[in-house]
Amino acid sequence: MLSRVAENLYWFARYVRRADNMARLVGVASQLQLDLPRSVKFMWQPMIDTVGVAGQFKARFPDAAAAPTDADVMRFLLLEEANPSSLRHSIDAAREMLRSIRDTLPPQLWEVLTDLHMFVADDGEKRITRRHRVDFIAHIVDGCLKISGLVTATVSRDIGFQFMQFGTAVEQADMTTRIIDAGASGLIAPRKEEDRETFRNLQWMAVLSSLAADRTYRRHVRQRVTGEQALRFLLQNYDFPRSVHFCLSRAQRMLAAFPARPEVEKRLGGLVEAIRNADPAALVRKNPASFMDEIQLELGALHGAVARAYFNVAA
Amino acid sequence: MDWTNYRSVAFDELIAADGGPRPAAGQLVRYLAKLSDRDVAARQLAASAIARVSGITFTVYSDGRNVDRPLPFDLIPRVLARSEWQRTEAGLEQRIRALNLFISDVYGEQRIFKDKVVPAGLLANSVNFRKECVGVKPPLGIWAHVCGSDLVRDADGKLYALEDNLRIPSGVSYMLENRIVAKRVFPELFETCTILPVDEYPMQLYETLAALSPRPGETPVIALLTPGVFNSAYFEHTYLAQAMGIELVEGTDLFVGDDDCTYMRTVYGPQRVDVIYRRVDDLYLDPEVFKPDSVLGVRGLMRSWRKGMVALANAPGAGVADDKVVFAYVPKMIEYYLGEEALLPNVPSYLCTDDGERRYVLDHLDELVVKPANESGGYGMLIGPRSTKKQRAKFKKLVVADPRNYIAQPTLSLSTVPIVTPRGPSPRHVDLRPFILSSSKVYVTTGGLTRVAMKRGSLVVNSSQGGGAKDTWVVDTEDPG
Repeated sequence: MLSRVAENLYWFARYVRRADNMARLVGVASQLQLDLPRSVKFMWQPMIDTVGVAGQFKARFPDAAAAPTDADVMRFLLLEEANPSSLRHSIDAAREMLRSIRDTLPPQLWEVLTDLHMFVADDGEKRITRRHRVDFIAHIVDGCLKISGLVTATVSRDIGFQFMQFGTAVEQADMTTRIIDAGASGLIAPRKEEDRETFRNLQWMAVLSSLAADRTYRRHVRQRVTGEQALRFLLQNYDFPRSVHFCLSRAQRMLAAFPARPEVEKRLGGLVEAIRNADPAALVRKNPASFMDEIQLELGALHGAVARAYFNVAA
Repeated sequence: MDWTNYRSVAFDELIAADGGPRPAAGQLVRYLAKLSDRDVAARQLAASAIARVSGITFTVYSDGRNVDRPLPFDLIPRVLARSEWQRTEAGLEQRIRALNLFISDVYGEQRIFKDKVVPAGLLANSVNFRKECVGVKPPLGIWAHVCGSDLVRDADGKLYALEDNLRIPSGVSYMLENRIVAKRVFPELFETCTILPVDEYPMQLYETLAALSPRPGETPVIALLTPGVFNSAYFEHTYLAQAMGIELVEGTDLFVGDDDCTYMRTVYGPQRVDVIYRRVDDLYLDPEVFKPDSVLGVRGLMRSWRKGMVALANAPGAGVADDKVVFAYVPKMIEYYLGEEALLPNVPSYLCTDDGERRYVLDHLDELVVKPANESGGYGMLIGPRSTKKQRAKFKKLVVADPRNYIAQPTLSLSTVPIVTPRGPSPRHVDLRPFILSSSKVYVTTGGLTRVAMKRGSLVVNSSQGGGAKDTWVVDTEDPG
């Protein structure tokens, strides 16, 4: 497996998973918006902050008085090319990665990504309006699922496959912490004190459902949604494929297929430990945000170690 | 589809002069005649959609972004009779054997020049002669492992060789993809006619390359070296690498070690490479020897090749025979090296280095096609009958200033094949590019890539200049099937 190809496979998988999460997050947020009474205000800013593009957003909408409309925010999160976290950017980046590794993957993957690319490029503007948004999100999520289905159903389990799965796991761990972050930072600002509790829980439900976790959560937890339980589920659950613990321990198992590199093993081991030892009750009482930030930084360092170990091979 | 008003000014590949179909095209033409305009439009739409989604594109780089342009695909296949194709195949095989002997001779004893069959001055002025290759003996004595020869049919109904592309010919992936599209659009015809398959090309290419490995007996490690995603033929590079199951590498993926072996950078560490099917031009292959600022190549690759540690296909320097002046001598080469007469005629060529021929060329610029010796893609040529006075004056100057760099050929009346238009079938000029593989044996594709000038009356079929493609059927009319 060429180092360059391994790296592109890894990033291809990451971008596809990033697009999937972004689509789900926006989809759930815009549903949530519909549920809110007039006394409760929906906040987009935390979502923009957690995907790390507050700076770009400010640059795009510098005038605080002329507050960006719902449509502006949608366009920014979904279609803006200058936003490195936008859905469009992720899809196009995945396609560019795939372009140079097409020979190693089933040709249908290219067809699906080309379809997604054209779907967004051709008339994304029209499709993200409130009227068509649900269909838009569903089409993107379908496309991402089709890609992961094609990969699991048809790609040989060679080391390239492991790099893709590894990329998917790392990206999902990262996105899960970011979505928790967004939820915990308050997507909803109730104007009346008595609404606070109700809507806080509504918000956690939104977090769960944007990670496709709402039903699984109910089956596992069997009680009404609370911050503590949701956090415990999304961080530490052993069985749910988008929980941080699940993703990282899966990545750990995949390391067995890679040439041994102690630095990578150590970093990943440390991350799994940190997640296992986290105390959701305490985190929810304070603000989970700083813990999520720490995990994101650690994930960044893990990526650095992987790149040094496998992608930048010296002569 | 209504054929009643279909008339071509040239030899038509499907429809004979009496308006009826040629024997090999009979089933196809009758089938198409039964389709309504709507059926035809629906099939053309389906074909374009398949071509678009499967990524049959050539890449154009503009504004800092990749733009994939689909290659226009026309529905109606070009049909060749098997009996004719067998004769053509033999001619192509003979040609490539002579060309490989010529290249070996050029970099070896240079007998053909000493014997004055070909003037020695030819080499001194050849832009594709590589002095770095003198004395090298590549595996099996083969230099041009992959050749794409362009054939055209003139008004007399005969196929002529127009040029041989021996550097890095492209287009074979379109040939393969066009067949996939045709099978999806005309499944009925594939059931009832005996259309010979084209899809063994990737395996044949693999075997051609594998036979060159410096480590015989072991499974060779083979890589296709591409200039990268911005290259216009990148689609083909990925396509072929995937079809053969070999690595697709870029220059930065490779390095030459202290032992002069060539290695790939892999997640396991360095891995030795035996054979490289390179789709990078000679001059970009190795900054140590050629262009020092090339980032597409691999430092030390020529050293590795000369020492026999890695095989390169095509061999560097093979392009010396890919020169329109050298082309004029191919029939003589066939006589000289093989003692045979050329089976496939050359398009007659006038050499501007010869005083008599040059005079003729300059006096007949309005009738001839004048081509620079080393351009590809249809650039820099003069098509006499369609030229302006100003253009002819310009070419007169060019030819006089640098006669070695120009040849002239009669303006052929290229044959036509119908394409689908909103007003029914309409004739368009075509050529044919078969691909010829050489190593331990010679293999010729079944048919080849038919390129078609999509503009009415145009003789320029190159994809970079608005040409399109058609599927090419070699049909066995004697098969009782």
